[in-house]
Amino acid sequence: MNTYWRTFKVAAWLGWEMDSNWTEPWLFVIYSVVKPVAGAFILVLMYVVFVAIGRPQGDPAAFSYLYIGNSFFIFVASVLFGTFQVIQSDREWYQTIRYVYISPISYYVYIVGRAASKVAVSSFAVAITLLFGVFFLNVSIQLSWTAIPMFLAATALGLTVLLAIGICLGGISFLTAKHTHGLAEGIPGLFYVFCGVLFPLSVLPSWGRAIGQGIPLTYWFDITRRLLAPSLGVDTTLTGYDDLTILLLLLVSSIAFFALSILIFKTGEYFARKAGKIDMTTSY
Amino acid sequence: MSAAPARRTDLRYRLGLNARAVVGRSYPRIIGANREPSWIVFEAFLPLLGIASYVFIYQAFGTRTIAAIVANDSLTQAEREAAIAGAHLWVNALVATVVLGGTMVAFWLNVLWSMASQLYWEKEIGNLQLYMMAPMNRMALLGGMAVGGMFMTSVRALSTLAAGVIVFGVVFQVADPLSLLAVFFVTLIALYGMGMMFASLYLLWGREAWNLSALMEEPIFFSSGMYFPVGGLFKIPGWGPAVALAGSLVPATLGLDALRQLTLGPASQAAILPLAPVSTELLILCVLAVGFLVLARYALAYLEVLAKREGKLTSRHQ
Amino acid sequence: MSYAVETRDLTRVFAGKKHRFRRKRTADEADEHLGPVTALDGVSIQIREGELFGMLGPNGAGKTTLIKILATLLLPTSGQAFVAGHDVAKDPFPIRQRINMVSGGETSGYGLLTARENVWMFSQFYGVPSRVSKARIDELMHVFGLWDKRDAKVRMLSTGQRQKMNMIRGFVTDPDILFLDEPTLGLDVNAARIIREYVLNWVRSQKGKTVLLTTHYMAEADQMCDRIAIIDKGKILACDTPEALKRMIRTETTFRLEVDAIRDTASFSSMQGVKNFSLTNDIGTNRSHLTFILEDEGPVAEILSLITSQGKKVHSLQKSEPTLEDVFISMVGRGFE
Ligand SMILES: Nc1ncnc2c1ncn2[C@@H]1O[C@H](COP(=O)(O)OP(=O)(O)OP(=O)(O)O)[C@@H](O)[C@H]1O
Ligand SMILES: [Mg+2]
Repeated sequence: MNTYWRTFKVAAWLGWEMDSNWTEPWLFVIYSVVKPVAGAFILVLMYVVFVAIGRPQGDPAAFSYLYIGNSFFIFVASVLFGTFQVIQSDREWYQTIRYVYISPISYYVYIVGRAASKVAVSSFAVAITLLFGVFFLNVSIQLSWTAIPMFLAATALGLTVLLAIGICLGGISFLTAKHTHGLAEGIPGLFYVFCGVLFPLSVLPSWGRAIGQGIPLTYWFDITRRLLAPSLGVDTTLTGYDDLTILLLLLVSSIAFFALSILIFKTGEYFARKAGKIDMTTSY
Repeated sequence: MSAAPARRTDLRYRLGLNARAVVGRSYPRIIGANREPSWIVFEAFLPLLGIASYVFIYQAFGTRTIAAIVANDSLTQAEREAAIAGAHLWVNALVATVVLGGTMVAFWLNVLWSMASQLYWEKEIGNLQLYMMAPMNRMALLGGMAVGGMFMTSVRALSTLAAGVIVFGVVFQVADPLSLLAVFFVTLIALYGMGMMFASLYLLWGREAWNLSALMEEPIFFSSGMYFPVGGLFKIPGWGPAVALAGSLVPATLGLDALRQLTLGPASQAAILPLAPVSTELLILCVLAVGFLVLARYALAYLEVLAKREGKLTSRHQ
Repeated sequence: MSYAVETRDLTRVFAGKKHRFRRKRTADEADEHLGPVTALDGVSIQIREGELFGMLGPNGAGKTTLIKILATLLLPTSGQAFVAGHDVAKDPFPIRQRINMVSGGETSGYGLLTARENVWMFSQFYGVPSRVSKARIDELMHVFGLWDKRDAKVRMLSTGQRQKMNMIRGFVTDPDILFLDEPTLGLDVNAARIIREYVLNWVRSQKGKTVLLTTHYMAEADQMCDRIAIIDKGKILACDTPEALKRMIRTETTFRLEVDAIRDTASFSSMQGVKNFSLTNDIGTNRSHLTFILEDEGPVAEILSLITSQGKKVHSLQKSEPTLEDVFISMVGRGFE
């Protein structure tokens, strides 16, 4: 246990240094906020255009739905990127992977540690984005005091699932060439489409809905939205479930994904070692 | 001992040299990328998902609007049908807007990551010093990267377009294919010229420039109206038009606005909130293209000297 | 006559590094590690066309810095440098047409390309027609013993094979002036010999080919170079043929001793008549090898008695002809690994 904790701490420190030490602190803070806020603004403008040419009376519920979903999606994008990019950057860029890999620590824990700073920074960005929405864009958020414990539990479980998925990707990227950018964009895109982040699942064709209901993040977004903005009523796909059921589903799936991530990670690692790919470089 | 034979410096020689350099640098991109077939999935098809979600947003808006129209009892049958037809029209226009934007994003990301920030990679893996020591023009080197990346980018761009038409049923109407081609290619030239200009920053900066490139994704998607008609920014009083004007410096902005005008029928024009007539935009794009190429040339030369002075051309090995 | 390479009072200072985020913990730290470094300090050398010129110097002496300036990768802080008669600062294009550079341990190229493709790619940046370039690559691959690996992806090559590929990259553009920065680093004895012979032959058998070589292998420098410059802390200490350099210290006497491992050497340096000395410890035999550069044979007795007084045994004592290494010790005052 002690080793794990030490590994985690060192990796977290390293991740933080890598993320942040390229510039002055204040620039780093701005940088961390500008990207997600600009991302949210794309959606704001999509809505503005829609109102301007399609529906002058507006559709505030749909807007709040999409805004909240997008704010929490910042976690998805950065945690997934933060985990799987560890292998690629250590391998191709810093070329330190072999030294870290042969040291007597758990590489799995090391990756989680490296992602920790991403979680911290993105929490900050999520909060800023939400606050901005509430104060300037009339996004409706009514989190009641009694819902806070449940909200925290849901967030923790959601992040666990995310980390686990990220590590699954890491396991796969042991074997693939450098695709940092395609992956960084693509995998989150998968969740963007199928997990009811921006639009209700009911828009999707039935097979799409089925995929969505098979991904735990769908439940995470749903319960987060239910707790933060109970009165939206935009999506009715999951109305059959009550809050506790969803929380339980999240718990079960986070355990399952955690196990799966270990499995995939070990498998990827095994095949990478077998094929001599642990420390390959694949730039082109 | 006699001197070594003089080397040629005439124009023909230089053209040949730089043409070879372009071919040489695009080679690893084309061949190497095909040796790792996983790239097709990662670089060309996965990104479609992100674009699809923007499409679904407009479709969801449309569905909810139509539901509201249907539920509205105060309308006559005829009014209701007209309203629904109108909704279908703007949904198509906006989805087309997203699809065209997604196509342009493919090129923009190629400029950012496969060309400009590529110099950072080259420095890290030790190639940059060998490139900077060779006699070829630096723009030929960057051009080679762009050409090499163009294959992958085109696959992505075309699959975006195809998905738009086949999966999302977007209806395009092209009345003036010549202008369309002209706008498209001038936009690309201007875009790559801009990328070359940014590439020069990588000679001097490392991770700072890399992060700057990262910063040029969402904010540029936003200010250039990649996923919504850029005219929408004018609906926001105060800072909206300012952002749109600043965004127009990125050639993709005006290029997209013109492309949208050229690919949608007359009935849809109002839905894409055009900024200016196509001819005006084409003219500005031409100015931008020439301007960026010239600027890129000087920026590259200037920053190369600066980087040589500060010892930043070789960062890692020795 | 014009020189292939000429520098006049060449100086290069690296500015101190600015650290962000965590800066200036203590004032000392800032002074110690981050202050400006004078990598080259008034270097003036002339390398003739057709010459194989060597640079010897300890780590951090400024050899790589000099090569980078000559290869148009770095600008001088002051002074001038000319390659093939052109000023490196003002007129890099004609220089670039005529030079190439190979450094030991470089990792250039793309992992997904084969060795042959990588070299071909670099030759394209010099405008070498593909046909010519491919023929040269094949020939050089035979010479350097890389033919078997011609179609192996670069990421599959061993360190030495990679270095051979780098050498081929250097020769394939048929430069007039070649900069070799520790080219035999990491090569086995045989591969190093092949490369030395090839370089020697390349310079000798053609007109107008010049090589500037840096190395840490004294024998390599001694055997290959027409002239050698010894550089330390950015200054040229001497520059002459290997023979002349050795003659310079012939007035001095070189003694080599093998003794039981000793640690305390401070008393040697204060001894009368000892110009310089070096010490290497052989862990396997637990003995020390001492090399003394003496003004004359006078201090030998004193040295021996000092060692025996510490209870150490002297296993061998030998007066010897000076080697390049002795020149180095005499000038730089440190042994050389
Ligand atoms: N880019 C740089 N920034 C700051 N200092 C530098 C830089 N490059 C070299 N130096 C410093 O300049 C001095 C000379 O370095 P150089 O690489 O020329 O030595 P060298 O003779 O090649 O040594 P070695 O035998 O170890 O290769 C060293 O003190 C080094 O730390
Ligand atoms: Mg060196």
